[in-house]
Amino acid sequence: MPITLDRAVVGKAFPPYAVTVERGKIKEFARAVGDLNPFYLDDRVGAASEWGDIIAPPTFATTFRDDSLDYTAFLRELGTDISRVLHGEQEFELHQPLQPGRTYLCRAKVVDIYEKTGKSGPMGFVVRETTITDADNEIVGTMRAVTVVRL
Amino acid sequence: MKYATLYAEDVDIGDELPSLVKGPIQQIQLTRYAGASGDFNPIHQDDEFAKAAGMGGVFAHGMLSMGFVAQALSDWAGAGRVRKLGVRFAALVRLKDVVTCRGRIVGTSSKDDTHLVEVEVWAENQHGEKVVTGHATVALPSRG
Repeated sequence: MPITLDRAVVGKAFPPYAVTVERGKIKEFARAVGDLNPFYLDDRVGAASEWGDIIAPPTFATTFRDDSLDYTAFLRELGTDISRVLHGEQEFELHQPLQPGRTYLCRAKVVDIYEKTGKSGPMGFVVRETTITDADNEIVGTMRAVTVVRL
Repeated sequence: MKYATLYAEDVDIGDELPSLVKGPIQQIQLTRYAGASGDFNPIHQDDEFAKAAGMGGVFAHGMLSMGFVAQALSDWAGAGRVRKLGVRFAALVRLKDVVTCRGRIVGTSSKDDTHLVEVEVWAENQHGEKVVTGHATVALPSRG
Protein backbone atom coordinates (compact mmCIF):
# COMPACT_ATOMS: atom_id res chain seq x y z
CA MET A 1 0.00 0.00 0.00
CA PRO A 2 1.52 3.33 -1.05
CA ILE A 3 2.42 5.78 1.67
CA THR A 4 1.35 9.42 1.67
CA LEU A 5 3.59 12.35 2.52
CA ASP A 6 2.29 14.76 5.12
CA ARG A 7 1.85 18.04 3.25
CA ALA A 8 1.42 19.83 6.58
CA VAL A 9 5.23 19.80 6.71
CA VAL A 10 5.36 22.46 3.93
CA GLY A 11 6.45 25.74 5.49
CA LYS A 12 8.21 24.01 8.36
CA ALA A 13 11.28 26.01 9.33
CA PHE A 14 14.08 24.19 11.07
CA PRO A 15 15.89 25.87 13.97
CA PRO A 16 18.75 28.03 12.59
CA TYR A 17 22.18 26.52 13.10
CA ALA A 18 25.70 27.93 12.95
CA VAL A 19 28.61 26.28 11.18
CA THR A 20 32.24 27.31 11.52
CA VAL A 21 34.24 26.15 8.51
CA GLU A 22 37.38 24.26 9.40
CA ARG A 23 40.41 24.49 7.11
CA GLY A 24 41.04 20.76 7.28
CA LYS A 25 37.42 19.99 6.43
CA ILE A 26 37.67 21.92 3.14
CA LYS A 27 40.78 19.95 2.20
CA GLU A 28 39.28 16.63 3.27
CA PHE A 29 36.19 17.35 1.17
CA ALA A 30 38.16 18.40 -1.94
CA ARG A 31 40.36 15.29 -1.67
CA ALA A 32 37.32 13.02 -1.22
CA VAL A 33 35.94 14.33 -4.51
CA GLY A 34 39.41 14.00 -6.05
CA ASP A 35 39.47 17.71 -6.86
CA LEU A 36 43.06 18.73 -6.16
CA ASN A 37 42.70 22.39 -7.10
CA PRO A 38 45.46 24.32 -5.22
CA PHE A 39 42.99 27.11 -4.36
CA TYR A 40 41.25 24.55 -2.10
CA LEU A 41 44.32 22.73 -0.80
CA ASP A 42 47.38 24.97 -0.72
CA ASP A 43 47.46 27.60 2.04
CA ARG A 44 50.17 29.59 0.26
CA VAL A 45 48.22 29.71 -3.01
CA GLY A 46 45.16 30.76 -1.00
CA ALA A 47 47.06 33.49 0.85
CA ALA A 48 48.27 34.95 -2.45
CA SER A 49 44.81 34.78 -4.05
CA GLU A 50 42.16 37.48 -4.35
CA TRP A 51 40.41 35.87 -1.33
CA GLY A 52 43.46 35.97 0.95
CA ASP A 53 43.02 32.34 2.00
CA ILE A 54 41.93 29.00 0.58
CA ILE A 55 38.30 28.72 -0.54
CA ALA A 56 35.84 25.83 -0.49
CA PRO A 57 34.69 23.98 -3.63
CA PRO A 58 31.21 24.95 -4.97
CA THR A 59 29.36 22.01 -3.38
CA PHE A 60 31.06 22.27 0.03
CA ALA A 61 27.95 23.70 1.70
CA THR A 62 26.47 20.20 1.53
CA THR A 63 28.57 19.57 4.67
CA PHE A 64 26.57 22.25 6.53
CA ARG A 65 24.49 19.90 8.64
CA ASP A 66 22.71 20.54 11.89
CA ASP A 67 24.27 17.93 14.15
CA SER A 68 21.46 18.37 16.66
CA LEU A 69 18.76 17.62 14.06
CA ASP A 70 17.37 14.11 14.06
CA TYR A 71 16.95 13.50 10.32
CA THR A 72 15.28 10.15 11.01
CA ALA A 73 12.64 11.96 13.05
CA PHE A 74 12.09 14.42 10.18
CA LEU A 75 11.58 11.55 7.73
CA ARG A 76 9.15 9.98 10.19
CA GLU A 77 7.29 13.30 10.42
CA LEU A 78 7.01 13.23 6.61
CA GLY A 79 5.72 9.68 6.78
CA THR A 80 8.73 7.83 5.35
CA ASP A 81 12.19 6.45 6.23
CA ILE A 82 15.79 6.51 4.97
CA SER A 83 15.49 3.37 2.82
CA ARG A 84 12.85 5.07 0.61
CA VAL A 85 14.54 8.40 -0.08
CA LEU A 86 16.83 9.45 -2.92
CA HIS A 87 18.52 12.73 -3.72
CA GLY A 88 16.65 14.03 -6.77
CA GLU A 89 17.99 17.50 -7.40
CA GLN A 90 20.40 19.94 -5.84
CA GLU A 91 21.22 23.58 -6.44
CA PHE A 92 23.80 25.93 -4.96
CA GLU A 93 23.84 29.66 -5.47
CA LEU A 94 26.96 31.35 -4.14
CA HIS A 95 27.60 35.08 -4.01
CA GLN A 96 31.11 34.46 -2.75
CA PRO A 97 33.21 31.38 -1.96
CA LEU A 98 33.01 29.91 1.54
CA GLN A 99 36.24 30.21 3.53
CA PRO A 100 37.92 28.65 6.55
CA GLY A 101 37.56 30.21 9.97
CA ARG A 102 34.28 31.91 9.08
CA THR A 103 31.06 31.18 10.91
CA TYR A 104 27.91 30.96 8.83
CA LEU A 105 24.30 30.76 9.93
CA CYS A 106 22.00 28.34 8.10
CA ARG A 107 18.24 28.69 7.97
CA ALA A 108 16.46 25.74 6.35
CA LYS A 109 12.80 25.27 5.58
CA VAL A 110 10.54 22.96 3.61
CA VAL A 111 9.19 25.02 0.70
CA ASP A 112 7.21 22.45 -1.28
CA ILE A 113 5.96 18.88 -1.37
CA TYR A 114 4.42 17.36 -4.49
CA GLU A 115 3.81 13.97 -6.02
CA LYS A 116 4.34 12.61 -9.53
CA THR A 117 4.13 9.17 -11.04
CA GLY A 118 7.29 8.15 -12.85
CA LYS A 119 8.36 5.00 -14.67
CA SER A 120 9.12 3.30 -11.36
CA GLY A 121 5.81 4.23 -9.71
CA PRO A 122 4.48 7.05 -7.54
CA MET A 123 7.09 9.41 -6.13
CA GLY A 124 6.96 12.22 -3.62
CA PHE A 125 9.19 15.27 -3.88
CA VAL A 126 10.24 17.28 -0.83
CA VAL A 127 11.90 20.63 -1.57
CA ARG A 128 14.07 22.21 1.12
CA GLU A 129 15.79 25.58 0.91
CA THR A 130 18.66 26.69 3.12
CA THR A 131 19.83 30.29 3.30
CA ILE A 132 23.43 30.83 4.38
CA THR A 133 24.40 34.15 5.95
CA ASP A 134 27.75 35.39 7.20
CA ALA A 135 28.69 37.11 10.47
CA ASP A 136 27.44 40.45 9.03
CA ASN A 137 24.07 38.83 8.27
CA GLU A 138 24.76 39.14 4.53
CA ILE A 139 23.44 36.29 2.40
CA VAL A 140 26.43 34.45 0.93
CA GLY A 141 24.50 31.60 -0.63
CA THR A 142 21.43 29.42 -0.83
CA MET A 143 20.98 25.68 -1.24
CA ARG A 144 17.94 23.99 -2.69
CA ALA A 145 17.57 20.22 -2.26
CA VAL A 146 14.88 18.00 -3.71
CA THR A 147 14.48 14.67 -1.91
CA VAL A 148 12.60 11.99 -3.82
CA VAL A 149 10.54 9.55 -1.78
CA ARG A 150 9.47 6.24 -3.26
CA LEU A 151 5.85 6.04 -2.17
CA MET B 1 47.43 24.68 -19.04
CA LYS B 2 45.40 23.45 -16.10
CA TYR B 3 44.13 26.14 -13.72
CA ALA B 4 45.04 28.92 -16.18
CA THR B 5 42.95 32.11 -15.84
CA LEU B 6 39.96 32.14 -18.15
CA TYR B 7 38.67 35.54 -19.29
CA ALA B 8 35.21 36.52 -20.45
CA GLU B 9 36.67 37.43 -23.85
CA ASP B 10 37.90 33.84 -24.30
CA VAL B 11 34.49 32.18 -24.41
CA ASP B 12 31.73 31.94 -27.00
CA ILE B 13 28.27 30.43 -27.10
CA GLY B 14 28.51 26.84 -28.34
CA ASP B 15 32.00 26.28 -26.93
CA GLU B 16 32.41 23.01 -25.08
CA LEU B 17 34.27 22.62 -21.80
CA PRO B 18 37.18 20.20 -21.65
CA SER B 19 35.67 16.90 -20.51
CA LEU B 20 36.66 15.53 -17.10
CA VAL B 21 36.82 11.76 -16.62
CA LYS B 22 36.36 10.46 -13.04
CA GLY B 23 36.47 6.96 -11.69
CA PRO B 24 36.13 4.01 -11.96
CA ILE B 25 34.07 4.51 -8.78
CA GLN B 26 35.36 2.44 -5.88
CA GLN B 27 33.69 1.71 -2.55
CA ILE B 28 36.57 3.39 -0.70
CA GLN B 29 35.78 6.70 -2.44
CA LEU B 30 32.14 6.48 -1.32
CA THR B 31 33.28 5.79 2.23
CA ARG B 32 35.70 8.68 2.07
CA TYR B 33 33.02 10.97 0.63
CA ALA B 34 30.61 9.93 3.39
CA GLY B 35 33.17 10.97 5.99
CA ALA B 36 34.00 14.25 4.26
CA SER B 37 30.40 15.24 3.56
CA GLY B 38 28.70 13.81 6.64
CA ASP B 39 26.24 11.78 4.54
CA PHE B 40 26.39 8.34 6.12
CA ASN B 41 23.28 6.92 4.46
CA PRO B 42 24.04 3.15 4.49
CA ILE B 43 22.59 2.87 0.97
CA HIS B 44 26.03 4.07 -0.28
CA GLN B 45 28.05 1.72 1.96
CA ASP B 46 26.16 -1.43 2.79
CA ASP B 47 25.28 -3.68 -0.14
CA GLU B 48 22.84 -5.76 1.93
CA PHE B 49 21.00 -2.61 3.06
CA ALA B 50 20.85 -1.24 -0.49
CA LYS B 51 19.52 -4.54 -1.83
CA ALA B 52 16.90 -4.76 0.94
CA ALA B 53 15.85 -1.20 0.03
CA GLY B 54 15.19 -2.41 -3.51
CA MET B 55 18.10 -0.50 -5.07
CA GLY B 56 19.95 -3.56 -6.33
CA GLY B 57 23.14 -2.73 -4.42
CA VAL B 58 25.15 0.29 -3.34
CA PHE B 59 25.41 3.36 -5.52
CA ALA B 60 27.34 6.63 -5.30
CA HIS B 61 26.13 9.74 -3.51
CA GLY B 62 24.55 12.07 -6.05
CA MET B 63 26.54 14.82 -4.37
CA LEU B 64 29.79 13.08 -5.33
CA SER B 65 28.82 13.26 -9.01
CA MET B 66 27.81 16.88 -8.49
CA GLY B 67 31.27 17.45 -7.01
CA PHE B 68 32.76 15.99 -10.21
CA VAL B 69 30.68 18.43 -12.31
CA ALA B 70 31.80 21.31 -10.08
CA GLN B 71 35.40 20.19 -10.61
CA ALA B 72 34.94 20.19 -14.39
CA LEU B 73 33.63 23.75 -14.13
CA SER B 74 36.44 25.03 -11.92
CA ASP B 75 39.17 23.18 -13.82
CA TRP B 76 37.97 25.20 -16.81
CA ALA B 77 36.84 28.54 -15.34
CA GLY B 78 39.07 28.67 -12.27
CA ALA B 79 38.34 28.15 -8.59
CA GLY B 80 35.80 30.49 -7.03
CA ARG B 81 34.07 31.38 -10.31
CA VAL B 82 30.94 29.23 -9.99
CA ARG B 83 28.01 31.42 -8.91
CA LYS B 84 25.28 28.87 -9.39
CA LEU B 85 25.11 25.14 -10.04
CA GLY B 86 21.87 23.23 -10.20
CA VAL B 87 21.58 19.59 -11.19
CA ARG B 88 19.16 16.71 -11.44
CA PHE B 89 20.41 13.22 -10.59
CA ALA B 90 19.12 11.42 -13.67
CA ALA B 91 20.49 7.91 -13.09
CA LEU B 92 22.39 6.02 -10.42
CA VAL B 93 26.19 5.81 -10.50
CA ARG B 94 27.36 2.31 -9.57
CA LEU B 95 30.66 0.87 -8.41
CA LYS B 96 33.16 0.57 -11.31
CA ASP B 97 31.31 3.21 -13.33
CA VAL B 98 33.39 5.81 -15.14
CA VAL B 99 31.80 9.26 -15.02
CA THR B 100 32.61 11.81 -17.72
CA CYS B 101 31.60 15.42 -17.03
CA ARG B 102 30.87 17.73 -19.94
CA GLY B 103 29.54 21.21 -20.56
CA ARG B 104 28.56 23.63 -23.29
CA ILE B 105 28.21 27.40 -23.16
CA VAL B 106 24.64 28.45 -23.85
CA GLY B 107 24.73 32.14 -22.98
CA THR B 108 26.85 35.11 -21.99
CA SER B 109 25.96 38.44 -20.43
CA SER B 110 27.77 41.45 -19.05
CA LYS B 111 26.53 44.03 -16.62
CA ASP B 112 28.88 46.64 -15.20
CA ASP B 113 32.04 44.70 -14.34
CA THR B 114 30.33 41.32 -14.01
CA HIS B 115 30.64 38.90 -16.90
CA LEU B 116 28.42 35.87 -16.55
CA VAL B 117 28.56 32.70 -18.61
CA GLU B 118 25.65 30.24 -18.68
CA VAL B 119 26.71 26.63 -19.08
CA GLU B 120 24.67 23.51 -19.74
CA VAL B 121 26.40 20.73 -17.79
CA TRP B 122 25.98 16.99 -17.68
CA ALA B 123 27.78 13.83 -16.69
CA GLU B 124 27.48 10.47 -18.39
CA ASN B 125 28.56 6.94 -17.54
CA GLN B 126 30.64 4.60 -19.69
CA HIS B 127 27.49 3.60 -21.61
CA GLY B 128 26.80 7.21 -22.61
CA GLU B 129 23.81 7.36 -20.26
CA LYS B 130 23.36 10.74 -18.58
CA VAL B 131 23.66 10.41 -14.80
CA VAL B 132 23.59 14.15 -14.05
CA THR B 133 22.03 17.00 -16.02
CA GLY B 134 22.08 20.63 -15.04
CA HIS B 135 22.94 24.25 -15.48
CA ALA B 136 25.66 26.49 -14.13
CA THR B 137 26.46 30.19 -14.04
CA VAL B 138 30.09 31.24 -13.79
CA ALA B 139 31.47 34.76 -13.36
CA LEU B 140 34.64 35.48 -15.33
CA PRO B 141 37.10 38.36 -15.11
CA SER B 142 37.65 40.63 -18.10
CA ARG B 143 40.93 41.39 -19.86
CA GLY B 144 39.77 45.01 -20.06
